[in-house]
Amino acid sequence: MPKRDRSIVARLLALLAVLAFVAAACGGSSDKNSDASGGTKDTTASDKTGGEIVDLGTFQGDPPEHIDPGLNSTLDAYQVINELYDGLTDIDASDPANPKIKPLVAESYKSNADATVWTFKIRKDAVFSNGEAVLPSSFQRAWERASNKDFAGDYSYLFNFLKGGKEKLDGTATTISGINADDATRTLTVTLAKPYSNFDAVAGFQIFFPMPKAVEALKDQKDWENQLMIGNGPYKLAAPRTSEQIELVRNDKWGGDVLGNKTAILDKVTFKVSKDVDTAYNAFEAGEGDTANIPPGRVDEAKQNYGTTLDVNILGSYHYDVNQNDPSIGGAKNLKLRQAFSLALNRDEINKAVYDSSRTVSTGVTPPGIPGFKKDLCDYCKYDPTQAKKLVAEWKAAGNKQSGPIKIQINADNGHEPVVAIFVDNLKAVGIDAVVDPRPTETYFSSLAKGACVVCRAGWFADYPTYDNFMYDLFHKDAIGGNNYSQFDNAQFNSLVDEAKQTVDKDKQAQLFQQAEKVLLDDVGVIPLLWYRGDYVYNNKKFTNFEQTNFGLILWDQIKLK
Amino acid sequence: MPSYVIRRILLLIPTVFFAISFLFFLFFTLPGDPANLIAGGFNRTPDPGVVQRAKERYDLDKPLPVQFVHYWERTLKWDLGESYKNRRSVNDILGEHAVNSLRLGIWAILIEVVVGIGVGLIAALRRYSLSDKITTVVTAGMSALPVFVLGFVLQYAFAVYPHKHAWPEWLTLRTQGLGPDSWAFFFIPTGEQWRYLILPAVTLASVSTALAARMMRGSMLEVLRADYMRTARAKGLDERSIIVKHGLRNALIPVVTLIGIDFGTVIGVAVLTETVFSWPGLGSEIASSVTSRDLPVLLGLTLTVVLAYAIINLLVDLSYAFFDPRIRLGEGGEK
Repeated sequence: MPKRDRSIVARLLALLAVLAFVAAACGGSSDKNSDASGGTKDTTASDKTGGEIVDLGTFQGDPPEHIDPGLNSTLDAYQVINELYDGLTDIDASDPANPKIKPLVAESYKSNADATVWTFKIRKDAVFSNGEAVLPSSFQRAWERASNKDFAGDYSYLFNFLKGGKEKLDGTATTISGINADDATRTLTVTLAKPYSNFDAVAGFQIFFPMPKAVEALKDQKDWENQLMIGNGPYKLAAPRTSEQIELVRNDKWGGDVLGNKTAILDKVTFKVSKDVDTAYNAFEAGEGDTANIPPGRVDEAKQNYGTTLDVNILGSYHYDVNQNDPSIGGAKNLKLRQAFSLALNRDEINKAVYDSSRTVSTGVTPPGIPGFKKDLCDYCKYDPTQAKKLVAEWKAAGNKQSGPIKIQINADNGHEPVVAIFVDNLKAVGIDAVVDPRPTETYFSSLAKGACVVCRAGWFADYPTYDNFMYDLFHKDAIGGNNYSQFDNAQFNSLVDEAKQTVDKDKQAQLFQQAEKVLLDDVGVIPLLWYRGDYVYNNKKFTNFEQTNFGLILWDQIKLK
Repeated sequence: MPSYVIRRILLLIPTVFFAISFLFFLFFTLPGDPANLIAGGFNRTPDPGVVQRAKERYDLDKPLPVQFVHYWERTLKWDLGESYKNRRSVNDILGEHAVNSLRLGIWAILIEVVVGIGVGLIAALRRYSLSDKITTVVTAGMSALPVFVLGFVLQYAFAVYPHKHAWPEWLTLRTQGLGPDSWAFFFIPTGEQWRYLILPAVTLASVSTALAARMMRGSMLEVLRADYMRTARAKGLDERSIIVKHGLRNALIPVVTLIGIDFGTVIGVAVLTETVFSWPGLGSEIASSVTSRDLPVLLGLTLTVVLAYAIINLLVDLSYAFFDPRIRLGEGGEK
């Protein structure tokens, strides 16, 4: 799932942030925030409910495009939607290294032996905030709505998982044949188009959230998110959203979460829209809000003065794809060149110089926290210029030579320029000639999909916590023309991923995915670089229990006043 | 005069038509397929089915001339369409943002009129005095200071610093968005609102106020040397009415032109101020509709700004006759 890039003005202002920082440093020792101990948890926090938090860290640039779970495709708006709705399942990420899928609105679920038919039993006490019962038909209603041709949002293709989903999306069928909702027995039976053993994780994703009867009365479904949308989550809308803010108040009819919490703690959560990340941070410092996003260059300052979520691993990877069909770097004959390329990169230096060490150096593409994750799968992700030089020499000895510098593509003006500048230096040191190839954001990904990638900047946030969300969606042959910018098409890899997707035994599945990723990394179909970490700063003198899950979601309903 | 006004109003029609039509076609020369971007192409490769459905929903599968005709059919009924981005009605978006822009614009212009004209006048009347010299230096500095630098510094000085030093709440100004309270007589802030208004209004007014002051000073100095001023003095009129009735009224003509143009500018293109202060106005919305390729919002909001510009220009032209009775509008050229 994409996270929005910040505006150009944001970058202009980044410069000024430095100025302001200097001014702040000159502000004298009477600064009442500088004596905060930063990041430590308060053990005396009360368990009482109440209070209000004003967020300035979620929406920068523009207000969220959508807060309808059927339409949204951004992580930012998912912060709100996740508080307004609960799905069939949810992720228990209390052990971040090993997140588990647990039933939420479903009290239990099971699949048949080959993972083609999934049966969800819906909880008896589940209700929407208006008191209406959440029934199997509430899910059916939502899914039929979200797969409607005239309405369908960016994630509607997920209905291709369901039998009859494709026909519904095409407009050749009026309903999805794979859904059977029996309200009398509170049973929702879902038949899939193909076996898929991770469907329980996907079923908890926003587009599969239930919808109350009220949506049926709407003349135009797009109006739902612009009025008092009714949901079944810990909070409900206090007022229809505006371009400036989204106000949530506690939903007392909430059924609780997978961690055992039964009620939302704060009375009110207000998400305010700022047009710019730096000025939002100013507003946070001026006491206009309780949270903010940490702007570039202010990481250390934020860590010193406030609480942050910088220690949270986010399920996202920042990497560079390598086009396997490109004559300058793809194919078997260039394998050693690719390996040398990856070994030449000083990932620590990039993390430090460009990101203030606010990310984690990758040892593979799939990040920690994805079930089945294994550390150090990548043999070519360490910094080893000596070995890289050796590999370049061997590659040249085999009769190869560079016909021109290797092009490294980035979407211009989105902060990737300094990363590639270090790349070019690192590569030069081992005898590889490379050059940056900045391209306009508007056509960047569509041109990569058509094969324009040589070595190209890519990144990915998990949609749901499954290994296949990284392997299948990014590197399988089915994703060529889509998000497989490497044009990676390796028979061994494809068959391992296909087998893993259908494997019900979780340990066996994990092994298969790890083997597949190893094939990908050994062939250097991708150059892993960094894994993302949390980037929220919050007022830790006022709040405690400010947790960010590795999906990037803040557990707004569990934040407490100190 | 009435026929002049009618002619000018009729001229608005082709002006607006050509401006918006030009923008319509210009939009499609921008890089990137709009349907692909609507379907999420800014961050990843969207599903082809989703792209196709976006095309159908927004007519983008039709030839450009057909889309163009459809666009004008809708626009003539004042149906500005639906935002590609969030599917909200552009009429609604326009309604919300135009009001905010107008409020901020009115205050910026008030500051420009009062401070700009006032300071310029004083500087001219006390030529070469210390206050004149200070005015010259400060206005030169102000007109060269980028808006986002000034905005950022003001935020620090009047919001972050007072908050960190625990100044009383009412002395701490706000940096983001609109306040929670209402407006009296459309534009007068009540309750908390003024704390939100001051910084963006001052920032937005800064450059134009400096320019207005400089122009006022120059224009007034020229008028003070004019023969009719000497005549007025010779007639024995008191200094006050010489300055106000004869001097100021003449000196104001170029300044009014400047302020008139500024009014259009502060309403339509206050992008940087609106961004720095998260003020939900038209300028930043138009700018973001360009980057996100949101054609209906871009065209709908620009249409309004073009109309506003044209009307304000007309009013400025009409005001010349008031300031200088020798100007007779619409009465032919030189004989």
